[in-house]
Amino acid sequence: MLKIENLSVSYGSVRALSDVDLEVLGDGILHGVIGPNGAGKSTLLDAVCGRRRPVAGTVHYRNEDITRRSVAWRRRQGMARSFQRTSVFQDLTVHEQLHLVAQHLGDNRLDDVIEVMDLAGYLHQKAGRIAYGVQRRVDVALALIGRPHLLLLDEPGAGLSAAETLHLFEHLRDLVRERKIAAVVVEHDVDAVFACCGKVTVLDLGRHLATGTPQQIRADHRVVAAYLGTAA
Amino acid sequence: MGGSSLRVPLTLVAVAIVFVVGAVAPTRFAGDFVLRLANEGLLLGMLALSVAFLMNQAGLVALGAASIYGGSGLLFAIAMNDWNLTPVWALCAAFLIIVVYATVLGALIVRTNPLAFMMLTLAAGEMISHAVMLEALRDYTGGADGLVVSFKGTVFGMEAADFASPARFWVVMWVAAWLSGLALWAVGRSRLGAILRAVRENEERMRFSGFDTYLPRLIAYVLVNIVAAVAGLLHVLNAGFVSPESLGISVSTNSLVAALMGGIAGSVGPLLGGVIFSFAQDEFGARGLTQLLTGIAIVVFIVVFPRGVVGGLSSMAWLRKLGFGGRRETS
Ligand SMILES: Nc1ncnc2c1ncn2[C@@H]1O[C@H](COP(=O)(O)OP(=O)(O)O)[C@@H](O)[C@H]1O
Ligand SMILES: [Mg+2]
Repeated sequence: MLKIENLSVSYGSVRALSDVDLEVLGDGILHGVIGPNGAGKSTLLDAVCGRRRPVAGTVHYRNEDITRRSVAWRRRQGMARSFQRTSVFQDLTVHEQLHLVAQHLGDNRLDDVIEVMDLAGYLHQKAGRIAYGVQRRVDVALALIGRPHLLLLDEPGAGLSAAETLHLFEHLRDLVRERKIAAVVVEHDVDAVFACCGKVTVLDLGRHLATGTPQQIRADHRVVAAYLGTAA
Repeated sequence: MGGSSLRVPLTLVAVAIVFVVGAVAPTRFAGDFVLRLANEGLLLGMLALSVAFLMNQAGLVALGAASIYGGSGLLFAIAMNDWNLTPVWALCAAFLIIVVYATVLGALIVRTNPLAFMMLTLAAGEMISHAVMLEALRDYTGGADGLVVSFKGTVFGMEAADFASPARFWVVMWVAAWLSGLALWAVGRSRLGAILRAVRENEERMRFSGFDTYLPRLIAYVLVNIVAAVAGLLHVLNAGFVSPESLGISVSTNSLVAALMGGIAGSVGPLLGGVIFSFAQDEFGARGLTQLLTGIAIVVFIVVFPRGVVGGLSSMAWLRKLGFGGRRETS
């Protein structure tokens, strides 16, 4: 589904990602990405979805090199993302924004998205007026519209309690499994990641440290030394 | 409730009555002087309408309305005088050139951020207004003297003398103002309007939702310039003259002020703002204090009616507090 090769991204002189290789299969399991702050997790999603041009490397999506494609094109091809800092339309009602996007992407099963993200009770409120946790769900709902093949979620649990995060992850796990799609989820809450992700990638200082099942990652001494040692 | 099904047709009837009475009554009861001011007010109101639409829907402030307004009139004059076109063809030619100009300029500038957009419209407008004064172009543009626009025959069934008559021209202006107001109102309520407002609010999220965010803004930019060009053409038909001042920055700023005075969220506000501005300018001018009093009026308006006259009246919070205006909006 997604194949990243030798990917490097810079912000001016700051190298945020160097030489990252990663493959994500469309096999209905959640693929978690963890790592310390500043490891390059958000940058990885930015490069995959087209928000940032890599300085080197390629991104293949469904067997096509899409490294130079626009954000909007990628979205129309079924690659959707949510944001670490909530990005919704504050001034539109929840229904208005979901409907606008659903119409554009030709998705007539908006009710599914509303149900999965449990938004039925907020449809006619402006997104800027609802609680932050619900805004997070609107953000993810916007990404779910149009039945994407690849979901890129950047810390969907940010600002939520541990219990809420776990609940959201369980939801996402079921959804991804049911639809047999690919999903990359960046998250700092490692407990939720280990509980719900079938595969986990660890980034550190812009480099790919390890990828494996949660058991393999927990047992990886480099990961423990770089990250989990303090967090777990 | 049964009342709400009646309310829509009742509103339509009321709107139709306002339209007919507004078209006819002033020509019967108002003198030429007042009608002239009202005509100028609606012309300015159409410019304000175009400025307000772009602000309200796209979050972009344009300061180049004058170059479109004056430019279309100038092109009309040139097309008749120098290219020997009939009046109707000259109108078409002027209109077409303006649309092409707005499309090309828009294609270059709607991509930028709102501040850059404002500065670029200002720069483009100033460039045009100075180019018109160039000695080398004087044969065409008339330089500082401007151009007389006289045509023989009829345009849309009206002779030059009809356009010059304040009462006849009022009817033309009234209809033009309504048409442009309704057109932009309809666009605002359409899918394009919804997309524009969403782009204004969160452009990035729109792109991440699969939308092209460039084309809608370009279409909006061309659209508002069409309204400004129509106003410019009507202006020369009425005045029989194009002055270089009609391309000047003060026309652009006046239209912005008129838009803010009337309120930018809708079509009635900017048009009303133009009329208020026109009458106020005359009143202030009679006292020889135009600039000073205009400045004070702007401050007062922005402080007392931050959403413009129409925005302020429609909310009527202070009236409600006093127990007036019983029916509350539910949305
Ligand atoms: N817009 C930016 N400009 C400059 N540097 C940035 C920018 N965004 C991120 N960085 C830097 O790139 C590195 C990776 O950041 P990021 O991808 O946000 O990490 P993470 O999401 O893992 O916390 C950090 O060193 C960060 O300071
Ligand atoms: Mg991040």
